Amino acid sequence: MTRFDRRDGVYLAAAALGIGGVVIAGDAYALRIASLVGIYAIAAIGYQLVFGRLGLLSLAQGAFFGLGAYASALLTVSAGLPVPVGLAAAVVVPALAAAVIALPIARLESHYVALATLGLAQLALLAATNLEFTGGANGIYGVPPIVTNSITIGPLDVGSVTIAALVVPGGWVTLISVWFGVLAALLVARAVTRGDRSAVLATLDNAPHAAAALGLNGTTARLVLFAVAGGLGGLAGGLQAHGLGVVSPAVVGFEVMVTILAIAVIGGRGSPVGAVLGAALLIPLPEVFRFLEGSYLIAYGVVLLAAIILMPRGLDGWLRDWFPRRAPAVPAPRQSTSKRPGKPLVVQGLVKRFGGLTAVDGVSFSVPAGTVVGLIGANGSGKTTTLNLISGLERPDAGQIRLGGEPLFERPAHHRRELGLARSFQHPEFPTGLFVLEVAAVAAKDRAVAMAALGRVGLADRATSLVSALGAAELRRLDLARALAAEPGALILDEPAAGLTAEERAALAVLLRDLATAGLAVLVVDHGMDFLLPLSDRIVCLEAGKVIASGPPETVRQNPAVIAAYLGSGAAA
Amino acid sequence: MRRLLPILLLTAVLPVSAGAADPVAVSVLVPITGFLALEGTAQRNGAVLALDNPPAGVTVTYQIADTATSPEVAVTALQRALEREKPVAIAAPIFGTQMLAMAPIANRAGVPLITVSGTAKLTELGHDVVFRFFPTDAVVKVAQARYAVQELKLSKPAILYQTTSYGQSGHEHLVRALGELGVKPVLEEAIDPGIKDLVPALERARAAGADSLLLQLHSGPTALTVRQAHGIGLGLPIVAGSAMHQPTTAALVEAAQLKGVCAETASSPMSDPRPDVATFADAYRKRFNAEPDAFALGQYDGMRMVLAAVADGARTPQAVKAWLASYRHDGLAMSYVSDGTGNMAHDAVIVCYDGSGRGPIIMKRYDAVDGVK
Repeated sequence: MTRFDRRDGVYLAAAALGIGGVVIAGDAYALRIASLVGIYAIAAIGYQLVFGRLGLLSLAQGAFFGLGAYASALLTVSAGLPVPVGLAAAVVVPALAAAVIALPIARLESHYVALATLGLAQLALLAATNLEFTGGANGIYGVPPIVTNSITIGPLDVGSVTIAALVVPGGWVTLISVWFGVLAALLVARAVTRGDRSAVLATLDNAPHAAAALGLNGTTARLVLFAVAGGLGGLAGGLQAHGLGVVSPAVVGFEVMVTILAIAVIGGRGSPVGAVLGAALLIPLPEVFRFLEGSYLIAYGVVLLAAIILMPRGLDGWLRDWFPRRAPAVPAPRQSTSKRPGKPLVVQGLVKRFGGLTAVDGVSFSVPAGTVVGLIGANGSGKTTTLNLISGLERPDAGQIRLGGEPLFERPAHHRRELGLARSFQHPEFPTGLFVLEVAAVAAKDRAVAMAALGRVGLADRATSLVSALGAAELRRLDLARALAAEPGALILDEPAAGLTAEERAALAVLLRDLATAGLAVLVVDHGMDFLLPLSDRIVCLEAGKVIASGPPETVRQNPAVIAAYLGSGAAA
Repeated sequence: MRRLLPILLLTAVLPVSAGAADPVAVSVLVPITGFLALEGTAQRNGAVLALDNPPAGVTVTYQIADTATSPEVAVTALQRALEREKPVAIAAPIFGTQMLAMAPIANRAGVPLITVSGTAKLTELGHDVVFRFFPTDAVVKVAQARYAVQELKLSKPAILYQTTSYGQSGHEHLVRALGELGVKPVLEEAIDPGIKDLVPALERARAAGADSLLLQLHSGPTALTVRQAHGIGLGLPIVAGSAMHQPTTAALVEAAQLKGVCAETASSPMSDPRPDVATFADAYRKRFNAEPDAFALGQYDGMRMVLAAVADGARTPQAVKAWLASYRHDGLAMSYVSDGTGNMAHDAVIVCYDGSGRGPIIMKRYDAVDGVK
């Protein structure tokens, strides 16, 4: 469970201020504005999961809002069912719709996500406008309110004391219902992003290649978050329908989507509480500027623009600058008891073509458990492509890869981590805003194992630093720690020594040798021969996608073909 | 000064006696932005012109709020007005979907809504607070159909209508009115308000063998249709909906392209030769630097009737509502009387353009089309 943060105190104070304002104003207009803030906050909390956490610019949240509104209106008006049933349908129907579209949509890249979801939203708008059962352009009217009249609570007898009856007006009941919805939405959002899930989502969003190599399966996360976002959008739409008494195609319109998007951005991308803050700022704003008559939208736009310029990370991000997130608790380092044994890696006849270019052409080699194999070659010789094929980021056109005897060819990248394969990158990607320990733990069994991995690369004392505070060399070590925390049986490293000082390279060499000694199969690509040759048990040299030499380092170094293609004439001396 | 102080304090504390000159509040809630901004602005201007010139003995205050084009904004504006302004009547949006959301709330508050919205359902819900000062589709669509069939002798019309409530309601009534005249459209095509290229629809009308176009489109799409029909040389007479009569619509089309185009409407203040209408038109032009249309005049007449009720002693929303429901009011466009459900306007006119300018000529009046006199 996430600990209470100092920002939470600010949020509670803001909530108290808002409640106080509504109580003091107290009329139906104030209640309506406060209810609207809550309704849009619910929709935006849901949207934060997709837009903020998955990093997908979905433009379908407005459609889910409308779908919820229509679902609840149809059930309560046309079928005569009670409002709670309608609201339940307002959650379930959009959640199911969102789950159905989640997988195909989440496969798309950013701008295609926007286009595809915009198309879906347009379809929803057309359906709402033209179908008979949706009431056409007029929509459905006479949607019952959540409560028609006031509710009387009590009187209550508590021992010898009688508490007088409390009469709650209908507007207040609606307001309270909506804000219970906000609370529920916040709890749901926290539940699906709590603990290390947050780091997993951040890695999937900001570091997709690393996520794949670390075995993070985005499919389930996308399915769950899309469905939850759709459900929350639908709940907001349902509450809107019962608050307005009318559902028309306007609820599916693009304006609703733009409002939700603006709330998410102004509130702080990815922050559920920020969504509440954003709604509390943006929804009443047009009302504040009503006195400007025809110019009020200009004033609204100016404030919106100013907010984006002055607080580019939104209200929540701005508050985070003042009240930074607390660093995670640091557990004692611990090696997992279920640590995998080393696994031999065997590559046979690997082929990869990019159009007319054959980048990898029949490459075969093996990395026995407990050894270090160096993969060398000039730039463009196929080294990184080979690593990508092994780790599953690229799909080979022919050949086979076996890890501990298990064929990897048909397995997606995230399955390979489960089998015991881990890798680091030439240009490692990291999610922003996380602490070092959180990043290292993303693929670990638990944080204690991640601490052990950080200790092995010399970053234990940096566990509670933000990743953004690390230097380039430290980031390379963190990339390696992240891979080690997955407790692999085989490790492939892409230029791990690039940019390191002589001391750091020496320390890295010692570490890799230790890992091999512990039983891991280690495959290393590097251009630093002074680093790689003493470290490796065997060297494989590639030229134009083909293996031109392999064997002990000294043998390969003397190989005329290797000298001609890569090392140069001075290397053999 | 010490003697004056108690008097000043007493004046401040005691409520002002309710005399005839006490101001009454009216709220103007109309779409000033969005796709109905032209119509909403005309509504606003008509209401303002009436409220700025109340009858002798009546003092009125008013506030204007934009309802944009969503029910949500309209309801918020309504609740703000009801709570903060305490109006005796409200100039309410032309947009039927907004009115459908506002009517139940106004009904609970008992405050009359004065509108020019054409959405038929508004006065069929059993509320007694909606007063419509523009003929419904049951009136104007009959006039449009009769003029096309009986005056222009057209028998194979193609109907292009908007996918909004305005378009769908008008389409339904137009088809019914044509059917009663023994005419079946050869094409009925729904047009999204965002569509800018009407040529495919026009070509389908030509291919269907249409001898005329009957339009039920908003202002912008109407102008586009007229221009593009002229551009492809369609050569069919056009009898359009009320959007065509708006000067702002005609301004989007070359005068020559308007030749042979007619439109139904409640009135045409810019070309009506009657002196009192001409005086209104002059005052409107002077105040707003724009030509008045039937929506402006309808809203003006509606607010004038509210002020007449106030002048007659109706100083609460309930009293104004009862007065509107009970009395006849001779407005500038026509004589208004409720049919028992709040429909106040029962006449229509057909205007046509001769191609020499953008000002239409009133070609035919249809009085008491729905039988209410």
